[in-house]
Amino acid sequence: MERVGVVLGSREATPLEFFVGVEGQGLLRLDDLVVVEGYHPKVGKVRYFGMVDHVAKVHEGESFDTDIFLAVEGKIPVSLAYVAHVSVTRILPEEFFPPDPGSPVYLAQGEDLELALYYDAMRNQRGSTTLPAGFLKNGEVAYLNLEFLNGVKGGHVNISGISGVAAKTSYATFLLKSLLESGVLEDAHQAKVLLFNVKGEDLLFLDKPNLRLSEEARRDYERLGLPPTPFGSVAFRAPPRKEGEGILPDVETRLEGVRAYHWDLVQFAQKGLLPFLFTDKGALTNLGFLVAHVTEKLRRLAEGQKGPHLLVADWPEGELAEGITFDDLGRVRLKSFSDLVRYLEYKLLGPETGEGEGDRTWVARQARGTLEAFIRRLRASVENVGHLVRGDRKGHPPDPLEGGEQVHVVDLAKLSPQGQMFVVGSLLSDLFAKKERGQYRGRVFVVLDELNKYAPRDEESPIKDVLLDIAERGRSLGVILIGAQQTASEVERRVVGNAAIRVVGRLDAAEAERPEYRHLPPSFRQRALILPQGSVILSQPEIPVPLLVRFPFPAWATKREEVLEDNSAEALRREFF
Amino acid sequence: MAWRLYALELSRLEGTAGEVLSGAVWEEGYPARFEPLEAPWEARRAPPVPWPEPLYFVDGRERAEAVLSDGRRLALLGCVAAGALVYRQGNMGLLETRVRRVGVGLEEALRLGGLVYEPLPLEGGPGPGDPLPALQEGLRKARALLEEEVAGGLTGGLLIVDGPVRLRRRDPVLGYIKTHWARYLPEGKEALLFALKPGERTPMFRVHRGGQALASWYLRLPLPPEGVRPPESGLLRVETPLQEGASALADLSLSLFPALASHPVKDPRAPQNLLPVGGLERELARRMGSREVVGRLLARHLGGG
Repeated sequence: MERVGVVLGSREATPLEFFVGVEGQGLLRLDDLVVVEGYHPKVGKVRYFGMVDHVAKVHEGESFDTDIFLAVEGKIPVSLAYVAHVSVTRILPEEFFPPDPGSPVYLAQGEDLELALYYDAMRNQRGSTTLPAGFLKNGEVAYLNLEFLNGVKGGHVNISGISGVAAKTSYATFLLKSLLESGVLEDAHQAKVLLFNVKGEDLLFLDKPNLRLSEEARRDYERLGLPPTPFGSVAFRAPPRKEGEGILPDVETRLEGVRAYHWDLVQFAQKGLLPFLFTDKGALTNLGFLVAHVTEKLRRLAEGQKGPHLLVADWPEGELAEGITFDDLGRVRLKSFSDLVRYLEYKLLGPETGEGEGDRTWVARQARGTLEAFIRRLRASVENVGHLVRGDRKGHPPDPLEGGEQVHVVDLAKLSPQGQMFVVGSLLSDLFAKKERGQYRGRVFVVLDELNKYAPRDEESPIKDVLLDIAERGRSLGVILIGAQQTASEVERRVVGNAAIRVVGRLDAAEAERPEYRHLPPSFRQRALILPQGSVILSQPEIPVPLLVRFPFPAWATKREEVLEDNSAEALRREFF
Repeated sequence: MAWRLYALELSRLEGTAGEVLSGAVWEEGYPARFEPLEAPWEARRAPPVPWPEPLYFVDGRERAEAVLSDGRRLALLGCVAAGALVYRQGNMGLLETRVRRVGVGLEEALRLGGLVYEPLPLEGGPGPGDPLPALQEGLRKARALLEEEVAGGLTGGLLIVDGPVRLRRRDPVLGYIKTHWARYLPEGKEALLFALKPGERTPMFRVHRGGQALASWYLRLPLPPEGVRPPESGLLRVETPLQEGASALADLSLSLFPALASHPVKDPRAPQNLLPVGGLERELARRMGSREVVGRLLARHLGGG
């Protein structure tokens, strides 16, 4: 054991925190883990494990700041004090009496380190549940207790941090890598991942090796027990282009392997996706009832239909717009979202000509103002989701539970905010409903950035309801949310509060002072302002102090330029045939 | 025979640093024995020279901790400390400190808790009248002895001691005297003292003490803000054994002492209380232990006064 100093006597030593005087050539840095032995005849030996969260050097006894100039000139002798503050993480056995000043302090290494960070307690009947989560400052592997991530004791991860410092998405994908490939998660092969790509096309190369992956980073992966490879089994889905013939995915940098997704009108009606177009449900009290009512009417209408177009029987010929055709049975075929909107307009407000009345069974006794507000909102959404909900061909929405791929990346970047809301809400509610019905046994991890948009603190929305549902009940159903946002203070408290694992990347100074980050000791909040790229602060329920964790450079490309081209004969053959 | 605590506080008169020169008395045999070593008698300057290395400073400290009584006699418990600093490669560092507890007037060592007071018999026995001055003198001697012990262990380089030069040393040594109880200069020559500017010194003159021949000179330390000031302020008398190289040391002292003069903002004894020595004294005080803790310990073991 390497001795680094002794417990100070000039400052209070308590069972929960104490100061250490660093001696001689000793080195104590922030995040270093130390162990101290205490003894009392009535209790016996007690070991205090702790983490350094403050270090300081000072010329002690000098009362004038200007004395430093004299010291530098060699005119006065000075006494340099090197002091560290230690927050105790664990006492073994649990006897809370203070350590004696003067007790030697050792660096916690190997077994001691595992005790200090409770790694020994991270196990279940079947073995260890330590999930590699990065590296500690001293180079040792940092672990998470998987049981707080997979839903056994806790679930959900929440990641905060300003964008652009490569923390949130990178760390989320690294965690996924660890979850899927470290072998700690037992049924990892059954687990599915739904990953929303909200910005750029960063996540569209998850399956490609990274050109810039250095030898050192490779060794990092090795030490974590992870293969330095991209994700093996990924499906990429992107929204279709708005213009142009056919359905082509609207992506720019990745040209192959991305499939477009959309819903057809029958799916839209049957799955009851209408509410996800109304993100400001709270704006009008009655609008909520109307939306629920119309959703139900549409569901009934679509019963038994195969799609992709929606057939309606009660739309008089005179009202028909161009392009809408009758089928054999005299029913009208709705072939696009705007057709549907026009149909609803007719049903709710009556014929366009004159102040007619809508169909009584549709209007649900709502005032005309409400009906008009409903239609206005619906009309405005045609531009946003018209290409996502269509009647011209069979719908093909992303379904992470189907297909052979393990990871499903769903691109939202090109969509309007309303479109994004619609896709996220539709997918999550569908996913959650399927898990509720027990249609899929494996765990599902959902990665969603910009939680503040989908589950804002002060507003109501159907998507927020779904997210709340996942946050509160998901862990027992095996749906784990890995959510991220720039500012946790703007996200619904219950969504953040239900996350067992909190990760903080670099924060804005004002944001760091908000109560959402009170789980961090002050020194960590200060450090959150200067976190370098590739480092995050990790809090988990079992360890009373957060860990500053460095995670390896992604082994997968995060943009086109990083893709390591595979020019082998085999790959070329695959491409051509 | 048991000692009992008599008093923890000594109401003793302490000499103040600002003793005025005009109140001083002639050193024995002066001014008749005044003998200048340099001529003419005028202020001297010297070009700056680098400090020799190693450069040692030795200083001591004493503290009376309690007066004891066994019914007939008094004894003084005290703590003396001495330490050395060394200037080397541009750094001033603490070299060593020694702390000793002595009981002046004790015949055998007194153990009180963790403290041990070594006996220091009173020289010549208790005098008539007030025994306190003799006891204090004993403590002073113990301190001087400890200082000499520390200084004796330092070889090479230049040694600077607080007070007159008493010890014999092969390598050069400078003593500096901060307060001027004695006059060495005839009246005609004293005028130069008042005319000295910071960084100037008087010519050397011969001083005899206890069969030792010394060279001595006065120099003026800077005392910001410069301007009108009492004539004695910032005056330092420096002495060194009279031997070859004494005049080089006198010139060196002009590069040394003014640079180490303390600032009145930080030290009430500025400028004569030199910077490193001030630091050393603080360090010694720390190592002597808390006055309060010692007092409590003594009261516990010896009973109230």
